[in-house]
Amino acid sequence: MQPFDYYRPESFEEAFELLSQPRKTAVAIAGGTDVIPQTRDGIRRPDLVVDIKGLPGMRDLAMTSMAPCCGAGPDECLYVGAAVRINEIARSSIVQDHWPILADAAASIGNEQIRNRATIGGNICTASPAADSAPALYVLDASVLIKGPRGEDRCLPIAQFFTGPKRNALKHAEIVAGLLIPGSPAGTLSFHEKLSRRKAGDLSIVSVAVMAFPSANSTTWRLALGAVGPTPVRAPEAEAILARGYDAEAVDLAAASAYGCCSPIGDIRSSLDYRQAMVVNLARKAIRAVVAQLPQA
Amino acid sequence: MLHDITFTVNGDRYVVAVRSHHTLLQVLREDLGITSPKRGCENGECGACTVLMDGLPVNSCMVLAPEADGAVIETAEGLSKDGILHPLQQAFIDHNAVQCGFCTPGMLMSSKALLDRTPHPSEDEIRYALVGNLCRCTGYVRIVEAVMDVAERE
Repeated sequence: MQPFDYYRPESFEEAFELLSQPRKTAVAIAGGTDVIPQTRDGIRRPDLVVDIKGLPGMRDLAMTSMAPCCGAGPDECLYVGAAVRINEIARSSIVQDHWPILADAAASIGNEQIRNRATIGGNICTASPAADSAPALYVLDASVLIKGPRGEDRCLPIAQFFTGPKRNALKHAEIVAGLLIPGSPAGTLSFHEKLSRRKAGDLSIVSVAVMAFPSANSTTWRLALGAVGPTPVRAPEAEAILARGYDAEAVDLAAASAYGCCSPIGDIRSSLDYRQAMVVNLARKAIRAVVAQLPQA
Repeated sequence: MLHDITFTVNGDRYVVAVRSHHTLLQVLREDLGITSPKRGCENGECGACTVLMDGLPVNSCMVLAPEADGAVIETAEGLSKDGILHPLQQAFIDHNAVQCGFCTPGMLMSSKALLDRTPHPSEDEIRYALVGNLCRCTGYVRIVEAVMDVAERE
């Protein structure tokens, strides 16, 4: 690997200073499971590697009364520090009990060794369209807490954080400090599924997250897809169809309409034709899995 | 840039000066002569470099050396005690779960971490725990049988 200097700042001020040094290429690192191979392959050529996982609050996973910047704003949210490991999320009893879709999505990432190093903040900052935590974070209406070098903290809905393939909304020297996950209403049902070439330890061809919860006179639905466009996507048309009813015909219609939100490509993992077919199949399977748990319409 | 790090490997405490851009795998193999972790894909796919870091299996090729400061590292060298093989090592021999041997240290360490956390895992749990360890002699069946054997004991 080409030489660089490694720093482990203890305060955000120190980290911002390192990340904004003039004429130096700096990269923030948490789990390193993307940055280290990219540096080894020469895709990144950092002068400085700034290890941010020791910064205050970065490893916290706890309930908080902080208001999310988007969504319904229930009184209690889950705060997930950006440097919380994927396996800590997958195995957290509070996540398993209250946000099972997030635990399932986390457990579907990479392999055991990767999940023990990779972090939730890193997964979204890499901003792969196939980031496996993303569809779950999209349906949960997660918010991203961002800290900046001039003290200008900001908060973005997850869907605004992903701006393109491997592109995120961070400005120079900004750091993702954590995520806020709104509490799910009582009776929430969800399902996450990922399709890949191997059953595990592979990147997604398509991934899907579906969530449904009872609201006033109907059921509110949320559906998100990964690996089928420049960023993960929500499928609002499918959500609207399901809100009007979820009999077999509506489910087929919703799954077919989900395809309208996607702009997939063919790549090493899947041809375009196969991916197009699988969007509809996986969406239908996920919707059916949630419908099977709901009181029948 | 050099960093003085202090860490424990297989119960022995080491103080080493490491370079920023070196990996834990390089320090283990080249500085300490601990060669059971292997350099394989260097991409987090193959698991040949797997060691336990604070009890958890990680790819040592993707841990920067300075990140290991303060860590407790376990490798296959530390599995046997007083000349007696670890039950997993003995089971790998009994079940002929070793062919070329390149993946074996990583397989052992991932299996040990699983049994430390879940003493009696199901076959599915074993296979899930070993997703990140590839065997190109295609010996998975015997490897899984060896881990099952240890898992089924008291």
